[in-house]
Amino acid sequence: MPKRYDVIVIGGGHNGLVTAAYLARAGKKVLVLERRPRVGGAAVTEEIFPGFKFSMFSYVVSLLRPEIIRDLDLPRHGLHILPLESTVTPMENGDYLAAWSDHDDTRRELYRHSPRDAEAYDEYGHLMHFMARAVKPILGMVPPDPTSFAPGDLAALLRLGKHFRGLGAERLHALVKLMTMSAADFLDEWFETDVLKATKSASGIIGTFLGPRSPGTAYVLLHHYMGELDGVFRAWGFAKGGTGAVSESIASAARAFGAEIRCDAGVAKVLVRGRRATGVVLENGDEIAASIIVSSLDPRRTFLQLLESNQLPPDFVSDIKRFKFRGSSGKVNLALDGLPTFTCMPDGAGGKLHRGAVSISPSLDYVERAYDEAKYGDFSRRPYMDIVFPSMIDPGMAPPGKHVMSIFVQYAPYHLNGGWTDAKREAFGDAVVNTVESFAPGFTSKILHRQVITPLDIERITGLSEGNIFAGELALHQLFFLRPAPGWAKFATPIRGFYQCGSGTHPGGGIMGASGRLAAMRILKDGT
Amino acid sequence: MSPPRESRYDAIVIGAGANGLVAAHYLARAGKRVLVVEQRESLQEGLDVGWVPAEVVRELQLVQHGFRLEQPDAWVSASLDGAGSLQLWRDMNKSVEAIRRISPADAAKWPDFCGRMRTLASVLEKLYLAPPPDIESRDPRELARIGGLGLFVRRLGKRAVIDLARILPMSIAELLDEWFESDILKGVLGAVGIWHLKQGPRSGGTAFNFLHHHVGCALGVFRPPQSNLREALAAVGGAEGPDIMFNAEADLRLASDGRAAGVTLLQRREQVDAPLVVSSESPRAALASLGVHLDPEFVRAVDHIKCRGVVAHARLSAEYAARVRNRCFAPSLEYLERAYDDAKYGRDSQKPYVETDGAGRVHIQYVPFTDQQRDVQSLRTLGSSVADALGVPAGALTIETPDDLEREYNLTEGHLYHGELTLDQILFMRPIPGWSRYRTPIEGLYLCGSGTHPGGGIPGAAGRNAAREIL
Repeated sequence: MPKRYDVIVIGGGHNGLVTAAYLARAGKKVLVLERRPRVGGAAVTEEIFPGFKFSMFSYVVSLLRPEIIRDLDLPRHGLHILPLESTVTPMENGDYLAAWSDHDDTRRELYRHSPRDAEAYDEYGHLMHFMARAVKPILGMVPPDPTSFAPGDLAALLRLGKHFRGLGAERLHALVKLMTMSAADFLDEWFETDVLKATKSASGIIGTFLGPRSPGTAYVLLHHYMGELDGVFRAWGFAKGGTGAVSESIASAARAFGAEIRCDAGVAKVLVRGRRATGVVLENGDEIAASIIVSSLDPRRTFLQLLESNQLPPDFVSDIKRFKFRGSSGKVNLALDGLPTFTCMPDGAGGKLHRGAVSISPSLDYVERAYDEAKYGDFSRRPYMDIVFPSMIDPGMAPPGKHVMSIFVQYAPYHLNGGWTDAKREAFGDAVVNTVESFAPGFTSKILHRQVITPLDIERITGLSEGNIFAGELALHQLFFLRPAPGWAKFATPIRGFYQCGSGTHPGGGIMGASGRLAAMRILKDGT
Repeated sequence: MSPPRESRYDAIVIGAGANGLVAAHYLARAGKRVLVVEQRESLQEGLDVGWVPAEVVRELQLVQHGFRLEQPDAWVSASLDGAGSLQLWRDMNKSVEAIRRISPADAAKWPDFCGRMRTLASVLEKLYLAPPPDIESRDPRELARIGGLGLFVRRLGKRAVIDLARILPMSIAELLDEWFESDILKGVLGAVGIWHLKQGPRSGGTAFNFLHHHVGCALGVFRPPQSNLREALAAVGGAEGPDIMFNAEADLRLASDGRAAGVTLLQRREQVDAPLVVSSESPRAALASLGVHLDPEFVRAVDHIKCRGVVAHARLSAEYAARVRNRCFAPSLEYLERAYDDAKYGRDSQKPYVETDGAGRVHIQYVPFTDQQRDVQSLRTLGSSVADALGVPAGALTIETPDDLEREYNLTEGHLYHGELTLDQILFMRPIPGWSRYRTPIEGLYLCGSGTHPGGGIPGAAGRNAAREIL
């Protein structure tokens, strides 16, 4: 008879680990089952080439909820966030646009491009800051069901209504605009400098299958503004030791609370008896029983793979089937012999350039064209890229004198015309390298090793369906009480004792951990 | 041009379009003496496209004045690649039969799809026949009205509530892909989702635009009816109706205290007084000249109304008008998306979406507005691609671009709806946030055109709402 657990968490990504840690902290006997040899899911650090360590997939930290850092005392478990201070956007005419950590420097830089935009920038910052604050409580709330007449739901809806009315007319209108407009249109109302709009709107397309002119992208703009580090809004950071260190610190906290974490233990099925989850079957055939099963996998895998569809209501199954993934991003990880020199800033501003992010988003049309190619099933020949040099911030990531370079690339559609092959992967990698080369001549000769990750690779390695980094698109019709399906956005599922806690649930996306925390709260509230 | 009959009226309505005339009639029926000033020399020819709410027909007794509503049958026809065409009918069974020939799976889903869309359109119809809900209001009556709307929606059932929240922000491509497999069917339906938008079928919010144009349509019909609304309104003459003056370009005149005081008739250099001026022009055109009298934030918001004309119109010569009726050329969603790609970068669609109505008018999208001189060659290219799509000689077409429409009809950026129907520009956000109740910061000046709630494609609804709000 196998050892009896209160809770089994399927998947040791950051959300699964957060759920496990909170439940263990509340005294439950928790077992986490991870298919891969190490925890972290898409937040892992791996030494891909000897001496060179990479945050293989997700690479910056900003959205991790401060209450989780506090509740789980993560700094004690090794979490150390180093600031990523600046963003430089090289332009095609050899100029650049920079946002520095020092506000006055940024303002001066903007002034160089447009005095009007420099003026508008502060006001814009205030508004976004305020909007992020206004939306923040929603991230910490279980979405009410607007179709239900239950007193709890009605009260929550009423509270929500009051909250929004409390914002005041002007800000309420700004919120409606953010929820419905395209990033490009929204930014057009504020700024005139094309490169500024391009680099800002780029944060609105990350992880989506949309272009900067597609409505709905302004919301993702805000989503990324919600990053909060040490209480400072809009501060992006880099975890010492890579994003894997974030996962490790949460795992360490979970273990300290008494949770057991088992790697190389993929789950094949959830056992259901009489509409109630009773345990899991591992890929090796072992059965483990528990009264509560929590899946941190994405909705498609949680419901269509771990269960049989005849165990679920048909309406629910069709809702889950039409939940959209459409992975659109890839990653290129490079080991370098030395740092590249960008034409627009040959001196690298005394190292500041390489200690921050470099955004390849020289104009709105550039980013929009990158999207056009993906729309019809090709990867972008000249893609949007977000580049960081982790070894410049955390020297432990590369051997002395060498560097690692992380390139987030969009767009690389999961459904590529003719499908992904090894040759196409390399062609995609070449497109990325050639594009960087056009902004930093001589860069190619410094490459020692190269790893190219397509959305198909993301799916194969992490299990994220279609390689979507948010475990389901952050589209307006897939958020809040619709995430992942109407009526089932409160972490429970149609199977009693079976819960969901991954990024495919509200609020989802980024290394945030909010889904995992909310799910744990819900499970504790329900009791057993 | 005859002089105005009086030099003083209770109200002056600027513009004799459907909304202007409807507003004028409601005000006249309430006992006000109303003058309508129209800069053109006569009523614009042709039928009015879109739902005319039954309330307008009844309250203005339009049937007595010859009001007719037409819904062609078949309401659309599209040539199929091989041979023959897909025709959709008012009769549900006939449509199902027609669709079955291209896709049995789609035919099976058709009635359910039509039912779901009709339910959602009925919610919009309810919203459109009154001023938009004021979500900031603390007035118990307004709160009760919003509560009533909420209850109305909940009574339609769980599915409708979810559909409403889910579908409105979606793209029409996503919505149709969930239901159907046939490219031509999706093209014919998807085209409605992009009408008068500088967006493609994959842009969020186009599903809303699709539903917006389904209001007032019968179950299973996705093309708006046509009517002789303006003609009927003009026929209500004499004591009952307003005075209408043509060839009368008018400018708003303010009193020294900043209120509206009437208009100045530009050609006659004559003033007509009225304490109430109602403009059916586009908000940007109506308010442009008043900048100095307005709060800069207000002016900024008006300047930011997205109003990017992308539709050119053409007339078919009589010979061909009868041959290509209600013909839709939109072979697939991808075809529409590629047509949009051109517009995104400021070019005319190389392969545009083209549709004819029953009276020889042609809708051509995308032809983006430009304030530059168009070169003759690009117009010729456009003409021949439209002619090819319809299978008529290029000489049978007279094309008006959005630039022409701006010049000719004073339509801002040539946009027929005075503002795009995107989710950030509807309901309490239309024409600009906080000013959705037809008022303006100028006391005595009201708006009643398509630029106000509920927007274009519903002739008379904005005019009626505005008049009732004024009264």
